[in-house]
Amino acid sequence: MTFRRIYVLWVLTGVFLLGLLFYPVLPKVNLQSYWLLVGMTALFYAILASSWSLLAGYTGQFSFAHMAFMGLGTYAAGIMIRDWGLTPWIATIAGVLVTGVVGWLIGYLCLRLRATYLALFTIAFAEIFRLVVKAEVKITGGPNGLEMPPYQRPEAFDRLMKAILPYWDANQYVPAYYTMALLFFLSLLFMFFLVRSRFGLFFRAVREDEEAAAALGVHVVNTRVLAFVVSSMIAGLAGIVFHHFIGLVVPDEMIIGRMSLIIAMAVIGGSQNLVGAALGAIFIHFALEWLQQIPMPLPVLERLLFLESWGFSVDLQAGLLRTNAWRMVGFGILLMLTLRFAQNGLISPILDWLARKEAVEEVAKRFQAQRDMGAVDAVQPVTSPANPTDDLEAEGEKA
Amino acid sequence: MSRANGTLKLEIRKVVKNFGGLQALKGVSLTIEGSQLVGLIGPNGAGKTTLTNIISGLLRPTSGQIWFNGERIDTLRPYHIARKGIGRTFQVTRAFRRMTVLENMLAPGIVKHPYMSRRELEKKALEIMEFLTIDHLRYERAGNLSGGQQKLLELARLLMLDPQLIILDEPFAGVHPKLQRTIYDYIKRVREQGKAIILISHDMESIFTLSERLVVLNFGEIIADGPPEEVKNDPAVIEAYLGRDEEEEHDLRRAY
Repeated sequence: MTFRRIYVLWVLTGVFLLGLLFYPVLPKVNLQSYWLLVGMTALFYAILASSWSLLAGYTGQFSFAHMAFMGLGTYAAGIMIRDWGLTPWIATIAGVLVTGVVGWLIGYLCLRLRATYLALFTIAFAEIFRLVVKAEVKITGGPNGLEMPPYQRPEAFDRLMKAILPYWDANQYVPAYYTMALLFFLSLLFMFFLVRSRFGLFFRAVREDEEAAAALGVHVVNTRVLAFVVSSMIAGLAGIVFHHFIGLVVPDEMIIGRMSLIIAMAVIGGSQNLVGAALGAIFIHFALEWLQQIPMPLPVLERLLFLESWGFSVDLQAGLLRTNAWRMVGFGILLMLTLRFAQNGLISPILDWLARKEAVEEVAKRFQAQRDMGAVDAVQPVTSPANPTDDLEAEGEKA
Repeated sequence: MSRANGTLKLEIRKVVKNFGGLQALKGVSLTIEGSQLVGLIGPNGAGKTTLTNIISGLLRPTSGQIWFNGERIDTLRPYHIARKGIGRTFQVTRAFRRMTVLENMLAPGIVKHPYMSRRELEKKALEIMEFLTIDHLRYERAGNLSGGQQKLLELARLLMLDPQLIILDEPFAGVHPKLQRTIYDYIKRVREQGKAIILISHDMESIFTLSERLVVLNFGEIIADGPPEEVKNDPAVIEAYLGRDEEEEHDLRRAY
């Protein structure tokens, strides 16, 4: 077989990045603010889902407080701008630092908690935080939300960007979309290198068996807290940047239902794979948007009129089938099926399959290098390792 | 980090451990100095595993102290103790199941040599894996290994940490005779490196062949301590085994 999967993976990555770049001018999107908003929300969720997978999938800390950290950073930045007169740029950095400190504290408090207890602890934290934010009207604006002023960009920068992208100032969502895309790319890159580093190794060792890892000298406390801090800071950063463009943050964005949505996105994509979780979030967000109103030819729609009594709306003039609440039912069923039949998600097995060829080659190359160094002599080279890429692993089976 | 070639000294001072109403250890005192192979035996429930868990920091003693190379270690966390130079295996193997064998090796390797390059570490790991005959499995996930291979992996991981004192908890349990040979070689090699070993085993034959000093625990107390030939003639030991477990008593006899 001359078919080389490694190229397929690179080509797909390239196509995806180009898609990210040219999404605003795709025919259907056509610079409409609605679709730009959908796009940047998808990227926002993608950052949250992948940073959550860093915490839950890699380190095994199943936290429900991720959205709370997102909100914490956003509110911290917003309040510092309003009360201390910081510029949005400095407030962004300060907000991320606040998230890091609180993340460190919560991570430390959770150290001795496992699985279910950790989940309950973080749910409690998230709900307390949300309710406090809702109640403290004077500080946070209460249920009406807190205003987030937009970023000021130097004019020279706008001119430069307009020279590169002629449609840069078509509407306010174009710069917002590109900022989110850049943030998405950078945070994914950062996490990718983090899990490839020694910390990634420690993360997974702690997930697999904390006591055994400790007996081998892995600093369990630092490892667990580090995962908490890093993923919280990324969530905080994403929240701050996103809401500066939206202009408002409300406490109900931190509701457990929204957190569950992020978890479901990560699980369907593959929670033990950063890219899988991110793609899962993008895919599901778009799917949910699309399912809101499905375009259909008239004859089909006329036959579907009976669905009206079930809670769908059939719009014959516009040729649309509106699914109303039913799309969430479909989403729930998809989640259940994923959990039952594909514990490692739907997207990461595909990535795994695409990456396998690359991994086999890498393994062979490294083996050759080691043999050249004289470390191995009479050993058989491994031609088909069963699971060469552990961060792209295909099984979700538990020990 | 542990001293490279200095003499090591582990002192267990009057360690008591209570689990609720049950007293698992009733004031155990034991000193291990220099490169020794100490066999630790005793009937089931004698407190052997409790003692190893206390030494490695997984449990805190109710009272008493443990000193290692002039430092008190019973208040330290397990990873601290591991970095000080005490390594252990577990009675039930605990490999990192969803990581490859090589990654299992690298984790303690990085702990021991934080500034060594990945390449050097892999070379080191390969050499150890080759010695323990698991090098062909290096890209296999640890969870896919057989029970015996997982045991070897645990031993291999321990060498990456390069501790001064190794506690082997039942290394021969459920192991094929051929693998047993490999583990014998391992112990020999570790001894040549000047490390001390505490060997816990129910396999009387191997423990009498290997150990230089035998400590017998019964009901949380040390009832005998000395060279194996002396210990096996100790009336208290024979009584402890006679009174508790026919089969082990039989093993003890067979080892004469």
